[in-house]
Amino acid sequence: MNRIRKITTWQWILFLTVAICCIGSIAFVNQNHSFYDRPIAQVIDTTIEEETDVTDMHGNEDKLFVQKIVAKIMNGEEKGREVQLVNEYSSSGAYDQQYRIGNEVFVSIDSNAGEQLMGSVTDVKRDKYVLIVAWIFVFTLLIVGHKQGLLAIVGFVINVMVLSFALDIYVKYYGVSLLVVCGICILLFTTISLLLVSGRTEKTYAAIVATLVATVVSLSITSLVIWITSGNGLRYEEMQFLTRPYHTIFMAGLFIGSLGAIMDVAITMSSSMFALYERDHTISVKALRASGIDIGKDIMGTITSILFFAYISGSIPMLILYLKNASPVGFALSMNLSLELARALAGGIGIVLTIPIGLYTAIFFIERKRARI
Amino acid sequence: MNVLVWLAVILLVLMIWVGGKSGARSFISLFFNFGVVFFTMFFMLDPNANPILITFIACIVIGCVSLFYINEVNSKTVIAFIATMITISILLFFIVVVSQKLMIQGFGEEEEEAIAGMSLYIGVDFIKIGASVIIMSTIGAIMDVAISIATTMHEVFKHTPSLSKKELFKSGVSIGRDILGTDTNTLFFAFFGGYLALLIWFKDLHYSIGDIVNSKIFSSEMILILCAGLGIALVIPIASWINAYYLVRAREKFNKIQKEEQ
Repeated sequence: MNRIRKITTWQWILFLTVAICCIGSIAFVNQNHSFYDRPIAQVIDTTIEEETDVTDMHGNEDKLFVQKIVAKIMNGEEKGREVQLVNEYSSSGAYDQQYRIGNEVFVSIDSNAGEQLMGSVTDVKRDKYVLIVAWIFVFTLLIVGHKQGLLAIVGFVINVMVLSFALDIYVKYYGVSLLVVCGICILLFTTISLLLVSGRTEKTYAAIVATLVATVVSLSITSLVIWITSGNGLRYEEMQFLTRPYHTIFMAGLFIGSLGAIMDVAITMSSSMFALYERDHTISVKALRASGIDIGKDIMGTITSILFFAYISGSIPMLILYLKNASPVGFALSMNLSLELARALAGGIGIVLTIPIGLYTAIFFIERKRARI
Repeated sequence: MNVLVWLAVILLVLMIWVGGKSGARSFISLFFNFGVVFFTMFFMLDPNANPILITFIACIVIGCVSLFYINEVNSKTVIAFIATMITISILLFFIVVVSQKLMIQGFGEEEEEAIAGMSLYIGVDFIKIGASVIIMSTIGAIMDVAISIATTMHEVFKHTPSLSKKELFKSGVSIGRDILGTDTNTLFFAFFGGYLALLIWFKDLHYSIGDIVNSKIFSSEMILILCAGLGIALVIPIASWINAYYLVRAREKFNKIQKEEQ
């Protein structure tokens, strides 16, 4: 009885903190205009001035609109004044958008002469909605997942902080190698995530060891392949957002990318093997190995396809843009998909390798436990 | 030889080595799925077609391949399939609303270099394409959760057939919770890895937190991660409920038939 009451008070405290954080942060982003240096304006009136049909040189038809916007400035010296903005947008909206009443946008003020301020829209203020979706995510995970949902969120936040901190170090000290930074990150990610997922038990340790070994082995295989073929077929040109040597960034991204899937396989393998051992302490190594392989077969296909979909789908918009601009299909595919496919395949190799590695690590840990008893 | 060919061959060999025949089947289904994504993209090129509808059809095909081809048609896979489709419909609706509010369609400022020199007025609806991308990225994980819950609940029911609907539902949700953590992890890391270059870019160019949060590319990435997590969480109660409903009804039907026979 006492215990039940204790848990509920804890739950109450947790629930209240989350609720206060939620309301507080939403109130904050709705009122945070003064924290921005860039002027922000809220759209109060829009009129469509012009509407033209356009056809580009590849025969694609689209509609262009010119929109006149009146907006109220929310921060800075001009706070409270109205500004006239002109916005051009297309109905496909690849790089532009229509604004509606109530939207908040970042503006640049071009002329300050006379009564009317004139300006143009530079970007949209998105923080409000990102935050709301984040809270929907948090609540859904808490309601459905209870403790495991909470741990998933905590793990996610810690991992983001670790990554951000590690990248700070990498960016600040140019001499630090990205691969070393990522190696340490991978070590931390694995330990933190697996400890959060399944607690401080033997099976967690087995999974951590298996993950690290499998990551190193699959890293070596992929590096070896890229080295032998001297990167033939990988089109780094399309790799975006580059401020640094692309090759290391690609490799580092590849490892962090497949880490989650490798951990997934490793923990599934080791927890089901340990479950078999708990059910029957005298189970033979041969039987363990046979059922381990069976479990591995079951999960291998689904986890590789999770990774495949996650990587391949992301390049659809860019592929559409290429193909609509009359690029040959082969060229568009190799430009946009080669790196993604390499990531997915390397991840797949990591996943499949984790099955035997996870199997033998689990058997090793089980044998050790058996010897101790 | 090409890196991709090498990696594909290594993957195939490993899959056959570890999984035998079912390994080969997994490999084939990977490439089949790749083909489906590819075809989906081709259909989306038509400005008159609705990308949401195309995605929905693509999801049905993917579901058929991954569930029915790999595991054959039975009550487990059919339930997993229905649960996946319901989850995807809810998620699609949510994503379209959110991406309209956030205006995260198309390409961001940071991608300017890549799209320079191309005509952007190509007549397709990038909001809907963006929503399809999110759905296609998460369908693998959603299906995985749905099939795991269906399989385990059928197993639980076989061992203790007297469970009530509520108890069955509870057992399903608790199975789901165990997968929730690892599956969200898989996707989080996949997305982190894919956007490592972007994160380094933000750090190198000294973006402030405000700049990062409001930039189109970061917020669309954030929405992708959050919606992936949402999808995985949502499918858990949906799949558990359908399973519980089906199993209890099957039992009632079975009991009725037995009574009539007596």
